[in-house]
Amino acid sequence: MNRYFYIDAEGKQKGTFSPQELQQERLKRDTLVWTQGMEQWKRADEVEELQFLFSVSSTAYQTASENPVNPYPQPPYAGDNYRPMPRTWLVESILVTILPFLLCGNLLSLLGIIGIVYAAQVESFYNRGDFAASAESSRSAGKWTKIAMWIAIGWLLLTVVAVILFFVFVGSLAGLEELITT
Amino acid sequence: MGVAVGILLVAALFLFYRFDPETQPLFPRCPFFLITGYQCPGCGSQRALHSLLHADIGTAFKQNAFMVLAIPYVFLGIYLQYLGGKLRHPRLENIFYGRWSAIILLVVIFAYWILRNLL
Repeated sequence: MNRYFYIDAEGKQKGTFSPQELQQERLKRDTLVWTQGMEQWKRADEVEELQFLFSVSSTAYQTASENPVNPYPQPPYAGDNYRPMPRTWLVESILVTILPFLLCGNLLSLLGIIGIVYAAQVESFYNRGDFAASAESSRSAGKWTKIAMWIAIGWLLLTVVAVILFFVFVGSLAGLEELITT
Repeated sequence: MGVAVGILLVAALFLFYRFDPETQPLFPRCPFFLITGYQCPGCGSQRALHSLLHADIGTAFKQNAFMVLAIPYVFLGIYLQYLGGKLRHPRLENIFYGRWSAIILLVVIFAYWILRNLL
C-alpha cells in the first residue's frame, strides 16, 4: 500500500497517509499528492489509487473544485524530482528523552533515545537520496516516540493520583484520631 | 486530549510546589539509584523542580544542574513544535533541534551521568 504526501490549502506539506487515511483529510480533486515512484506532484483525481475518494460519497467537495483558480499550481518547492522529506520526529523524540527524567522514568528515556537515533537517520538518508530508507526511519522514530510518550503520560497520571490519594489517606487518619480522643 | 494533559501537568506542578520531594515519601524514586547506589542523570530533578518553583535557583542547580538547564530548552522545543515556532524561526530549529544537537544532547547526558558520580 502506497503512503501519500499532500499539499494542503496553506501550501504546507502533510504526510504520510494511506489512501484510507486520506479519506479523513478532505482532499479536493485538485489537491496535489505525491507518493514513492511518482515523477512529480499530481492532482489527487489523476492518481488511480485515489479515485475512490471522489466517487459518489464525496460530491460535497466536487462543487468546490469545479472552478479551481489554478488547477496546476507548481509544487511549492523547486525542482522536478523533488521528494518531500518525511517527518523527522526530532523535537518530539528529544522531549520524550528529557522529560521522563523528571519523574524518575529513566527507562523511558531509553525509548526516547531509540527514537532520537531513528529521527537523526531520517535526514541523513534523505540527504543521501535514499527516500525509502528515510521514510522507514521516520516511521520507526514516530513509533518509538509515541510509545514513550504514552507511557510517560500514564506514568505522570499514576504519580499524581498516587500522591493525591496518599494525602487524602493521611487526612482521613487525622480524622480517625479525633474520633478516638473524643 | 491536550486539555487533559494540561490539567495533569498543572496538578503535578502544584504538588511539586506544595510538597517537598525531599521529605515526602510518595514521590517516585529512581530505580537506577535504588539498585546501584549511583545517581542517574535525572536524580534530584524533582527536588530541583521544587526549588525552582520556590525561585531558589542556586539550590536547584546543586540538586540537578542538567534539569535546570534543560527546562528552558524543553520550552523552546514545545514552542517550535506545537506553537508555530518552526515556521517563524526555522533557523532556531536547525540549531537547537537538528541532527547534531540531538547527538550533542546525548553526549551531554552521558557526560553528566558519569561526572556527577565521580565528582
